[in-house]
Amino acid sequence: MSLRFSLALLSLLFVAFAANTAGAATPQPAPGDVFPFTTYETTLDNGLRVVTIPYDSPGIVAYDLVVRTGARDEVEAGHSGFAHFFEHMMFRGTERYSQDAYTALMKRMGANSNASTWDDKTIYRLIGPSRELATMMDVESDRFQNLKYDDEGFRTESRAVLGEYNKSASSPFLPMQEKLRDLAFDKHTYKHSTIGFLADIKAMPGYYQYSLDFFKRFYRPENVTLLVVGDVKRETVEALAKQYYGGWKKGYEPASIPAEPEQTAQRKAHLDWPAPVHPLAMLAWHTPAHSATSVDSAALDLIAEVVFGETSPLYRELVVEKQWVDLLAGDADPHRDPYLFTVTVRAKSDDLLPKAQQAIDEAIATLQRQPVNAARLERIKSHQRYAFALGLSSAPTIAGQAAQAIALDGEVKSVNQRFAAYQKVTPADVQRVARAIFRPQNETSVTLSHAGTKAQGATGGASHE
Amino acid sequence: MSDPRKLSAALLLAVAALLAAAAAQAAAQASIDAVELPSSSSPLVSLRLQFDAGSIYDPPGKEGLAALTGLMLAEAGTQKRSYSDLVEALYPMAAAIDLNIDREVTLISGTVHRDQLDSYTELLEEALLRPGFAESDFKRNREQLLAELTDTLRAGSDELLGLEALQDRIFAGHPYGHPSEGTVESLQRLTLDDVKAFYKERFTQGSLMLGIAGGYPQGYLDRLKHDLAALPAGQKGRKPLPPLPKVSGRNFTLIEKQTASVGIQFGFPLPINRGDPDYFPLMVANSYLGEHRSFYGRLMNELRGERGLNYGDYSYIEYWFNPPGTDYPTPNVPRRQQYFSVWIRPVVPGDAQFALRAALYEIQRLRDKGMTQEDFDLVRAFLLNYTKLWAQSLEDRLGFRMDSRFYGMPYYIDEIDARLRKLKLEDVNAAIRKYLSTDNYEAVFVTANAQQLKETLQKDDPSPKSYNSQVEAEVLEADKAIQSLKVRPTRIDVIPVGEVFQK
Repeated sequence: MSLRFSLALLSLLFVAFAANTAGAATPQPAPGDVFPFTTYETTLDNGLRVVTIPYDSPGIVAYDLVVRTGARDEVEAGHSGFAHFFEHMMFRGTERYSQDAYTALMKRMGANSNASTWDDKTIYRLIGPSRELATMMDVESDRFQNLKYDDEGFRTESRAVLGEYNKSASSPFLPMQEKLRDLAFDKHTYKHSTIGFLADIKAMPGYYQYSLDFFKRFYRPENVTLLVVGDVKRETVEALAKQYYGGWKKGYEPASIPAEPEQTAQRKAHLDWPAPVHPLAMLAWHTPAHSATSVDSAALDLIAEVVFGETSPLYRELVVEKQWVDLLAGDADPHRDPYLFTVTVRAKSDDLLPKAQQAIDEAIATLQRQPVNAARLERIKSHQRYAFALGLSSAPTIAGQAAQAIALDGEVKSVNQRFAAYQKVTPADVQRVARAIFRPQNETSVTLSHAGTKAQGATGGASHE
Repeated sequence: MSDPRKLSAALLLAVAALLAAAAAQAAAQASIDAVELPSSSSPLVSLRLQFDAGSIYDPPGKEGLAALTGLMLAEAGTQKRSYSDLVEALYPMAAAIDLNIDREVTLISGTVHRDQLDSYTELLEEALLRPGFAESDFKRNREQLLAELTDTLRAGSDELLGLEALQDRIFAGHPYGHPSEGTVESLQRLTLDDVKAFYKERFTQGSLMLGIAGGYPQGYLDRLKHDLAALPAGQKGRKPLPPLPKVSGRNFTLIEKQTASVGIQFGFPLPINRGDPDYFPLMVANSYLGEHRSFYGRLMNELRGERGLNYGDYSYIEYWFNPPGTDYPTPNVPRRQQYFSVWIRPVVPGDAQFALRAALYEIQRLRDKGMTQEDFDLVRAFLLNYTKLWAQSLEDRLGFRMDSRFYGMPYYIDEIDARLRKLKLEDVNAAIRKYLSTDNYEAVFVTANAQQLKETLQKDDPSPKSYNSQVEAEVLEADKAIQSLKVRPTRIDVIPVGEVFQK
């Protein structure tokens, strides 16, 4: 054995050892991966995961904290919408950085600071100059550990949330979504929308103590991933993360979320709308929990395009040729727990809505009867792949996709797993999944029309078997 | 007749003509103006074809022709395939032929994965160079423009309606003064022959600025230029604009509409654009006053933050494309003439007069007191960083490069950096005094009960504001001045929404 060979072997062992301690697979993307960026992952002793994705965005970084808590975790009765409300409270300041000091600091940095709450996640995002990375680490780690606000500030902010609800409530989509979920779910917290029930929002001012507990339960390192995308080096990010987040105490208490029993009969409701509006329907079917590696989850995503996409026969018939509807969309909306496949349709007049619904039923029945054309399925897979790739055009858009993968599946590599699963889906899979999901007893629907011109086919008021 | 000298002279002339034609062809090829931004590591390629073919080139009475022609290229069939087939062909690459028509330019653009660059280029060239100009596409696209005016602007969004109507007022009688979509009546007058003529005249090599960014292969740009030389050579140079309009007095247009709230915009022409050195001090002042969609400006902090009047309040020193949908300025909507404007998002009807006064008060305050050194240092530091966020993607960087070519200036984002670093507080305060005032402006209100609002504005009586929550003493003190601020309207017109963009 030559010396050169043994040295080479040693270095190989070292690389393997280093990879093990980092607890991550090869960070380099494989050829053909749709997410083509080298992704470094490491976990601090307190459980905080740190993900770094270097990207060619000169001088700019997207700095995310992904909290795997959202409306899904709102298990206590009367507290729907709390995760979103709490997201607002995260901007109320700390001992070191008051709310005004935080805004002034962001302004000095020229950063864009925002946050959003969803069913399964809450994401805090700064977009700013990469040379200010240490400042971002300092101010963000501070508010995640030392948030401080008083009862009065809490009450004031709760009014802003009510204002936000009222702003959205002027659109018919919010009440429809609210009704649909309320009707489709009995036990699971997906029963309520992210913003919460109005009655719960009105009661928010009285829950100061609850909010302090909420922070202690969910805003813990084991439940959070720090994600940095852009003009940065892995070593810098990881060293700063250790310095600023290393002292954050563990203590995450996962919520105990009730499972949803199987739906056994069709559910329908109708909403009257006070203003003139084109009639709307939302049709939904229960689906299994999302999994990046599952062929069935992938097939559901593809069905949204196969049946309802812009090149589908149904879309061409209803939107382009007959022009009965001006909005038609299917959405498999991936969630951590079993959720819904939702179809939204808006007809041009009240008499056309039931006709459009019938055409939708027929399109689904066709898919259940005969498998989709294999060449068309391949074109749809290609579309999905390139549509995704075209969206990865800046540090924040890349961070957005990575954050979604982290929230759903816990890791960024699930993006590539999801697209690998698409490649496996056959026309027979699509047909099998369509038969399993689109059954009448698994369906919930909500229609909405201007008061006095109620769409046919609805039962009138909420019916719930 | 058979004079050999004459013959040879004729031959010589013919040869000369042939040579001249060849030279013209060569010159035309060389004359396609191109902006390049290669990035070999990017898997994406962005193409932007910007033609000097915006709505200022609409012939009088044929407003909307540029837009309709653009649609007949980007959203219509070609000589060999129908529009549905074109969409179907683009579908597997998830690509599109995007279109944006503004006053000065028409932008045809697309981003594609580099794997698909050749197929995409073929389709894009087919659409641009060999359009089908089918009657059915013409009708559909004209309907679309009409719907844009009647459904989107008049019925769909009070805010977009106000933003467009304000430009209509500020630039009345000027080529900028009608929506790019045309008017309800002018659209009816357009014919397919008009479209064909406009295409031939405006979509030329001379009017094209070609932009390309991303991971395209070597030699690609030359090939593309070669193909685009199939366009007529055309002339270089933009149509001269009339002098900047003058707004005299305080003129109000109240658009009467069944709506629960009141949207307010006002503004006036500005004699400078990005290419002017004064633009940069004014940019600092404007950011301080009303940075778009952020809590960094005074308008937002005073009207929304302190007084809860609405959702947002911002100001601008140039046209801002798609304001509700964008955080940062959009490239490729360059305009030689610009305007200052304030956008007050909808307020409850009882607060409309107060909200206007509060915004005017802020501008007057800025004019009277100027910015302090501390304000200036903070805003400049902010802009030095924040403006870098405007150009995060390759396509945005490409677009701002193309804009800079349009304005005849160095790369805008770099120029902001260079200019702001040299700026002094005095420069900013001088620019404020020179350009900002509340003496002359056009204002547009989108409102129900317009007649009642008209009387209220005419009377110009104090408009006290009451609050449901506790408000700081300083705010109440300022309110005393705001509520009795004299607006002194010069002219107030009431227009039913159905008449807006009609003629």
